Amino acid sequence: MNKILLVIRREYLTRVRKTSFWVLTVVVPVLMAALYAIPIYLSVKPVEKTTVMIADESGIFGGFDRNDTLHTDCRFASSDNITYRYAATYDYALRQMEKDDNVSAILYVRSRASGAIPTDACLYYKTDLPPSNVRYDIDRQLQRILRNRLLRSHGISDDEYALISNTKINLRTEDLETGREAFLDVKTALGVILSLLIYFVIFMFGSQVMRGVVEEKTNRIVEVIVCSVKPFQLMMGKVTGIALVGLTQFLLWVVLTGVALVGIQGSNPELFRQAVQKHDMTELATKGTDATIQMQDADNLANVPQLVEGIAAIDFNVIVPVFLFYFIFGYLLYATFFAAAGAMCDNDTDTQIFSLPLTVPLLLTMLLLPAMMNSPSGTISVVLSLIPFTSPVAMMLRIPFGVPLVQLYWSMALMVVSFPLCTWIAARIYKGSILRYGRRLTMFRRKK
Amino acid sequence: MFLEAQHIDKSFGDFKALDDVGIGVREGTVFGLLGPNGAGKTTLIRIVNRIIRPDNGTLLLNGNPMTDNDVQKIGYLPEERGLYKKMRVGDQALYLAQLKGLSRHEAAARLHKWFERFEMSDWWNCRVEELSKGMQQKVQFVVTVLHEPKLLIFDEPFSGFDPVNATMLKNEILALKEKGATVIFSTHNMASVEELCDDIALINKSHVVLKGSVNDIRRSYSRNLFEIVATKSETPMSLPQDVRITKQQIGDEEETSFIMLPDGMEANELLGLLMPQRSIRSFREVLPTMNDIFIKAVDSE
Repeated sequence: MNKILLVIRREYLTRVRKTSFWVLTVVVPVLMAALYAIPIYLSVKPVEKTTVMIADESGIFGGFDRNDTLHTDCRFASSDNITYRYAATYDYALRQMEKDDNVSAILYVRSRASGAIPTDACLYYKTDLPPSNVRYDIDRQLQRILRNRLLRSHGISDDEYALISNTKINLRTEDLETGREAFLDVKTALGVILSLLIYFVIFMFGSQVMRGVVEEKTNRIVEVIVCSVKPFQLMMGKVTGIALVGLTQFLLWVVLTGVALVGIQGSNPELFRQAVQKHDMTELATKGTDATIQMQDADNLANVPQLVEGIAAIDFNVIVPVFLFYFIFGYLLYATFFAAAGAMCDNDTDTQIFSLPLTVPLLLTMLLLPAMMNSPSGTISVVLSLIPFTSPVAMMLRIPFGVPLVQLYWSMALMVVSFPLCTWIAARIYKGSILRYGRRLTMFRRKK
Repeated sequence: MFLEAQHIDKSFGDFKALDDVGIGVREGTVFGLLGPNGAGKTTLIRIVNRIIRPDNGTLLLNGNPMTDNDVQKIGYLPEERGLYKKMRVGDQALYLAQLKGLSRHEAAARLHKWFERFEMSDWWNCRVEELSKGMQQKVQFVVTVLHEPKLLIFDEPFSGFDPVNATMLKNEILALKEKGATVIFSTHNMASVEELCDDIALINKSHVVLKGSVNDIRRSYSRNLFEIVATKSETPMSLPQDVRITKQQIGDEEETSFIMLPDGMEANELLGLLMPQRSIRSFREVLPTMNDIFIKAVDSE
């Protein structure tokens, strides 16, 4: 068997057999599934029923004529969980609260000079803070009633209001040549996600390479190995083996997360269907029943198809291969240098010092990410996406926006050309340092 | 010559580690590479192993320039010995053997034989970190000789071995020599040189200061000193003026004398002088120990 394959095999198997590998492999999907399932369980968990007393001295919120059936939209509307009861006076409300355990809070609106619009209201509670959904509901209803009162007093009909509040102008960004919409938000989000992903992959597996090299060096096993394998083979075997470990883990994460999600949903399908339905219903309920607000809902909902449309507009045929290219070459470029840095270390504490120069270009790109987001085809973006050490992260940010092919090809070409060059340099450092202890690298001083 | 290194130079920065070093190792012999710390022994060994390249000079194996493929024929036990701590002994031995070009199957078969012989079969599934240092050294030794190399190189093999394992190692080295392997080892342990080595080279301050067969070297350093054991006698030995008795130990029945002869005087003459005076029980030439030669050669530099 080829020796480099033997090295790859060892690097791969020893890592995959470690307990920590499997712990991480299981923990991440579990966390992901939990992240998805826990909010749903919490949202479905029945909310305690509660009663809120309303002591409205201003009369604006329906406190004066409790039997006014004409103006239901100017009164607090009870829901399944929250019952609103009007009290004639604050004292009466207080007494009710002492008598009845269900009463959890009193909404008190102070009277002001007649006709004046109240600017604040107070929610009094005893010991237990009212849950946030109650506070949220009260707030919304206050705003709604106030607005409806004002509309009424100014003689504006519901239809007129709907017309005013729903008229808006939509600014789109469109490519002059293709006539297609740009969907900038979706693309920025995608770009940031891809950049972060590449950044983490390079860091995580790069430092694994480094630790592996330091281990071999401090163990002193390296001397036995380099007399049967060339240092270059050892280095590349390690880099490749760890890359395969990374890919295995990544694949397992995707598969296991999928299995976990399906499993959770399968274990209690009713719950999840309920959760989705309930979510929709509470949305509608809290937004009130007025036509005007329903109109607004419709407007908000329009964003969802827009998101779908935005994602559909992204050319994944380009993004996926480009991502894979920079994923592989970015990792290889950095991993060889991490190996070289590891070879220079005498012990684990050295690793931080020696990995610092490697992290600078990556960190720099991350720091410039906001500037690049602002202008994905600006000078900074173009330059960073051409330099081989910054291009994996920078290009990932740019690629959803579409990159001129000339730039893309140049960037890739530079990457391809610099890879053997950098590997050669890294291999030289590695070779020169791997058997040297306690002495700093001298290869730059001499030729041979 | 089986292995020949000619005019090897090697510098690290400003430091000249080897300066025009040449050694020749005969096939089927044990060759000792001696020298104080920092003399350049490990550098020379690494050059022979092709771990580092010499600045100048040639290496010949059986008269042909050495190539990278020849490394397969070498078994190397470095001074700083290490194994992957977390790996299991068996996996690790298999891996290292495969790197030396053995098939997995062949490696496993040979390993089991060696492990049985050294009574270490129980360790197969242990992690290396669970073994004691002596146990790890045994594993390393087995891995070094497993591919039955023609040339074995041990750098300071006895350092860190307890006396039991050191003796075992000595016997193994001799056994390997019996089987036709050529052995090079570097050491400070001069007693082991006398026991094991056929030839030596002494390196000091990057130069070879002494080389040749152990017997020739000891003879060339001979001080014409003899040890005579004779029955005890009241009368002192009467010897010519230039014959010196360096030391005399008188026991209950015997007396042991160390007598140094002047240049040109033969041992037979001494015997002729003594025979009328004493009843001689044993007579032998005292050759200088390698330790004495080592110190003398290094000090005279």
